[in-house]
Amino acid sequence: MANEPKNPDELLKGFQINWICLRDADGGKIFWQGSDDLSYPDVEHEARVPKNILKCRAVSREFNFSSKEQINKFRLEQKVLFKGRCLEEWNFEFGFVMSESTNTWQSIMEAAPESQMMPASVLNGNIVIETKFFDDDLLISTSRVRLFYV
Amino acid sequence: MQGLLSLLRKLRTAPEKELRLLLLGLDNAGKTTILKMLASEDITNVTPTAGFNIKSVNSEGFKLNVWDIGGQRKIRPYWKNYFENTDVLIYVVDSADKKRLEETGIELYELLSDDKLQDVPLLVYANKQDIPESLSASELAQTLGLPTIKDRSWQIQACTAIQGVGVREGMEWVCKNIKKK
Repeated sequence: MANEPKNPDELLKGFQINWICLRDADGGKIFWQGSDDLSYPDVEHEARVPKNILKCRAVSREFNFSSKEQINKFRLEQKVLFKGRCLEEWNFEFGFVMSESTNTWQSIMEAAPESQMMPASVLNGNIVIETKFFDDDLLISTSRVRLFYV
Repeated sequence: MQGLLSLLRKLRTAPEKELRLLLLGLDNAGKTTILKMLASEDITNVTPTAGFNIKSVNSEGFKLNVWDIGGQRKIRPYWKNYFENTDVLIYVVDSADKKRLEETGIELYELLSDDKLQDVPLLVYANKQDIPESLSASELAQTLGLPTIKDRSWQIQACTAIQGVGVREGMEWVCKNIKKK
């Protein structure tokens, strides 16, 4: 590789999640967008979303992030947790990330049929979307968004 | 992203479980706008891409990933990092940007000569057809010398991405030309 991996500290310092957005995949209506304090890795974010989000056929999750340093083996692991139990998992390999770049990744997974969906009262406050960003095996950042259905 | 979901449904017959479409072209060609139109999203706040935008759709285990990489001159050297495993290359051209036709042609043929994109079907979007002085799709195909391409299937599609015109037709071609590996 022409560019040797940087000191991990610099890589971590130069990485920032700018915003996270949850939308109705049909029509793109935004249910929640968070951009405060996302660079603090240990803060769990609370997203208050309307109950009818559960009626959406699909909800998209979008991350916008910047990196000052080049990353060669960028990947993420995303889990949807219910009381800590994994309901859904998505691993994605980005590969190369340019230095001084701003990037977005938006994903949608088709929702379970409504009949299999737990009601809002059960899910409320118990669902966490956990997204971990890595350079190969080096953990760069963890984002946790807890969902409240209001 | 409804448009992408329905696209994925059409592609489900493809034997591969994960499909990758790569959108390239000069800066300001309209790649991000096309990506957003495909996803039925608002396009009022499209800004130059300083990196990549990816949309990933998962339906019953089948995955479609559409990669839009920024086209500014200083980041074009990084395009090659995103070639691997591409199923269809989508090249977007601003048909009204006559001053840069030569430049866009050079970039296109550099892509086509890369081993990692060998045999990959090519869709060219002749974008911005709403601008009166823009070249038609057939004029653009001639100017870019597309008829000389013999080593892969290719198609040119006229479109006006900001109005959503022609984008779907291009994707129909993509669906039919996903290579069976």
